[in-house]
Formats: sequence, C-alpha cells, structure tokens
Amino acid sequence: MSEFEKLRVVTRYEFLKHIRRRRLYVILGLTLVAELAVLIGLPALMDGYPDNVMVMAALLTIGPSLATIGAVFFAGDAIAGEFEGKTGYILFTNPVRRITLVTGKYLASCVAVILLIIFGYAIVCISLLAIYGNVPLETAKSFGLCLLFAGSVLSVTFFFSSVSKGAMGATVMALLFIMVISGIIESVLLMAGKPYWFLLSTGGDSVAAVYGGYELFLEGIMPHGGMLPFEIETPDIGLTALSMAVYLVVGFLLSIWISGRRQLA
Amino acid sequence: MRELIVIENLSKYYNKFLALDNLCLRVAENENVGLLGPNGAGKSTTLKILCGLIRLSSGAAYIDGINIAKKPEQALSRIGAIVETPEFYPFLTPEETLSYLGRLRGMRGDGLRHRMKEVIQLVKLEEWGTVKIEKFSRGMKQRLAVAQALLHDPPILILDEPALGLDPRGVVEFRQIIEEVGKEKTVFFASHQLGEVAQICNQVAIIDHGKLLAYDNIAQLEEKYQSLEHAYLALTGEPLE
Repeated sequence: MSEFEKLRVVTRYEFLKHIRRRRLYVILGLTLVAELAVLIGLPALMDGYPDNVMVMAALLTIGPSLATIGAVFFAGDAIAGEFEGKTGYILFTNPVRRITLVTGKYLASCVAVILLIIFGYAIVCISLLAIYGNVPLETAKSFGLCLLFAGSVLSVTFFFSSVSKGAMGATVMALLFIMVISGIIESVLLMAGKPYWFLLSTGGDSVAAVYGGYELFLEGIMPHGGMLPFEIETPDIGLTALSMAVYLVVGFLLSIWISGRRQLA
Repeated sequence: MRELIVIENLSKYYNKFLALDNLCLRVAENENVGLLGPNGAGKSTTLKILCGLIRLSSGAAYIDGINIAKKPEQALSRIGAIVETPEFYPFLTPEETLSYLGRLRGMRGDGLRHRMKEVIQLVKLEEWGTVKIEKFSRGMKQRLAVAQALLHDPPILILDEPALGLDPRGVVEFRQIIEEVGKEKTVFFASHQLGEVAQICNQVAIIDHGKLLAYDNIAQLEEKYQSLEHAYLALTGEPLE
C-alpha cells in the first residue's frame, strides 16, 4: 500500500472526525451570526447600507475571516491531542509514517475550513447581489487571500500543536500569536509608519483590504471620512500573500519535523 | 527456530535516567512470553520501543528480522499492539475506528468488513458497533483495543497490561481470547498479574532497573523457586513474607 493511499485514508477519516465534532457547526453558526450582524446591524446604525459596494463587500468579509480563525480550533488538537489523549497509542502503532499522518490531518482541516469559507463567501455574494445587484471581481481575490490566510493559520496552529503537551495550550498559543501578539506589533508598526506586511494578522486584514485599501473602508463607514491621528498605508497585497505563503510552508514543515521526532513516552 | 522478536543490547535514556540497560532478549515464533518486573523496571519502555513509539538510545530491536529503528513501517505491519490504556476518538464508532485502522493496514472491502465483524464478535461488542465510543466504559475501550490489535491478524502481539480496566468477567474472557489466538501467534506480554502471565505464557522474562534478571520456562522457574511468585520476589529483590 503506497503512502499516497494511506494519506487518502487518513484525510478521509480525519475529515469524518471534523464532521462529527460540534465545533464545526459552532464556527458555521458564528460565521452566519457575524454576517447577519453586518447585514442587519449596519442599516440600523448607519441609515442604510454604504453606497459603495466595495465597502459593503469588505465589511462582509468578517464572516469568512472569523471562519478562518476558527480553523485554530480544528488544528489545535491535531497533533497535541494524540499525545495528550493517548489516541496516539493506537494510531502510531500502525505502519504509517508520521509525515503521512500529519499531512492527512492538515488536509482534512483544510477541507473543513474551505467549506466554512465557501459558506461565508456564499453569504457575501448572495447579500451583495440582493443589495447592489452585482458582486465585485475583487471578491474572487478576497476569497483566494482568505484561503491562503486559512492555510497559514492552520500551519502556524499545527506548529504550536506539534510542540505543545496539550491541545488547549496549542490553541491558546496559536490564538495569542495570531490575534494578540501579531495584532499588537501590527498596530505599533502601523502607527510608526513602518512596514508590517510580514505579520500574519496583516494577512487576515488583506482579505478585506483587497477591496480598495483602508482609506476606502474608513471613508465608507465613517460619516466624515475616517479621521485618524496618523496615516494608514495599506500594505502591498502581493507581499502580504507572499508572507502568508511563507507562514504556510514553514509552519507546516516545522510541524511535520517536530511531530516526527516526538516520542510517546 | 525462527525468532520474531530480537532485542540486542537495548538501552534507553530518558534524559539522564537509564530506563533500559543493555537488554537482550529473543522471542521465538509462536512462543508466548510474559514480561515481568516491578513498576519502573523498563517493561513499557521495551514494548514502546518495539512499537515504534519511542526511540532507542543504543542497541537494536528487530521485529521478524526488520530493524524497528530503520524500517519502522515495515516492522509495525507485523504487529498488533495494545500499549498502556489506549484511548479512541470519542466521536467515532467501533466500526468506523476499525475501518480506519484496517484501511491504514491495507485491508479493503468485504475482507475488511468480514474481519471487523469477526473481531467485534470476539470481544463481544456486537451491540455496540455503531455507538459512539464516547459512551464506552474503560473496559469496553479495552475490548476494542483487543479488537484493533487482532484486526489484521498479525503474527506478533505486543501487549502492555491489556486486561487493565476490565471487570472480572472481562479479564477471564480476555485471557481466553489471548490464550486461543496465542496458539498461532507470538505474544509478548507485559503484566503485573502473575496468574495471568502463567495462564497465557509458557516463558517469562523478568527485568528490573532495565536489566534482564531471568528468562526461562515458567515450569523451570517454578521448579527452581517453588512458584512463579517466589521466583519474581526473589529475583526482583523484594523480601519474602
């Protein structure tokens, strides 16, 4: 039996695990709630939807972005859970290479997150069509960047999962890294006018920024044109995509290498 | 006779702690060997190395002539194992779990379904085959562990305290299963239950502090020390009552 066939088996059953777990449906529900909050809350608070379809499209990316961050919960226990929960005593005694197991788990998580992202963008497209009668072409770019962001979030979380003793620790560390540490550094660099395209949180921002940059976004939602005490420069989307690709590849390779060396003592 | 498990000068350090100290052991085909020793003697470490769960520090271990450190996948294809008290994915059913593990070992279609049915019957989980494992007791999980170890009909069984968590009836049934399948397989079996070992195995290896103290036929040890219990206590240095 080839490793590729084993990879297919691992991916299939790991995906089955995601389907069976409540967290997939919780994230699905949260994505829906986030989109509904924008669709219902915005006209109530701002006297109607923004005039510019790009602004509304950018605002609606909150749903898929949330789904992407939810990926942390799929990946947090992917490797650490096998050691912490002792399921590794069954799985690792099978004639399968660790690289195959980790890759299968990664692919299964990817499939689950992609389904959530597709669900989010389906709401975006339907909503824009219903309100404005068209869907901007940038939505496809935003979708692509969201997939890339999801891949990089998964890789980073897999890395934390491979080094952590417990699944909860891995999940918290990944969330702290992506949402807090990266976010704080991004804010500081942004205010200082320094480049910040290499941060993972910037990758998340690019999913909305692709619709026309931060200025357009601020102008669209702030009645007087978005007055901030400092200038905001939208990072280059190409560079941001490149940095996400690096997070994706490096995080994934490190997680494979580390989990291959871990012992189930 | 062909030797299916060969352990040569096996040493294992956990940081500075020496868990196995140049352990040498050979288990011939169709032999049932019990691995005895006090807590911390190195029993689980030995079995975990044989199952590819931990790396050895020095020496070598072979499963059916295959070096476990160099070709772990090939070596693992020859064994069925229960190590410690394994857990299963709670949101899968026994049938799904066995299907997953069977497919990982190259089993397919009707052959896999037939074998799954057989092992589920063997461990008396017929009524629980489609119930999520999250509803299972410790003993039921242990039965499932036995089922997955036998699923692919391996020539070698490596078992670490496999009756742990079973109720008295479960223990008896488990012993009967291993005794029966052990007639055609090589069983390497760590346990604290001397009676269990005496029932299933014809030979025992007694280790302590990672060193082999004795490796002999149970009948000969009983002849020399009066009983297996006396042999164990005398060899592991614990005072006799």
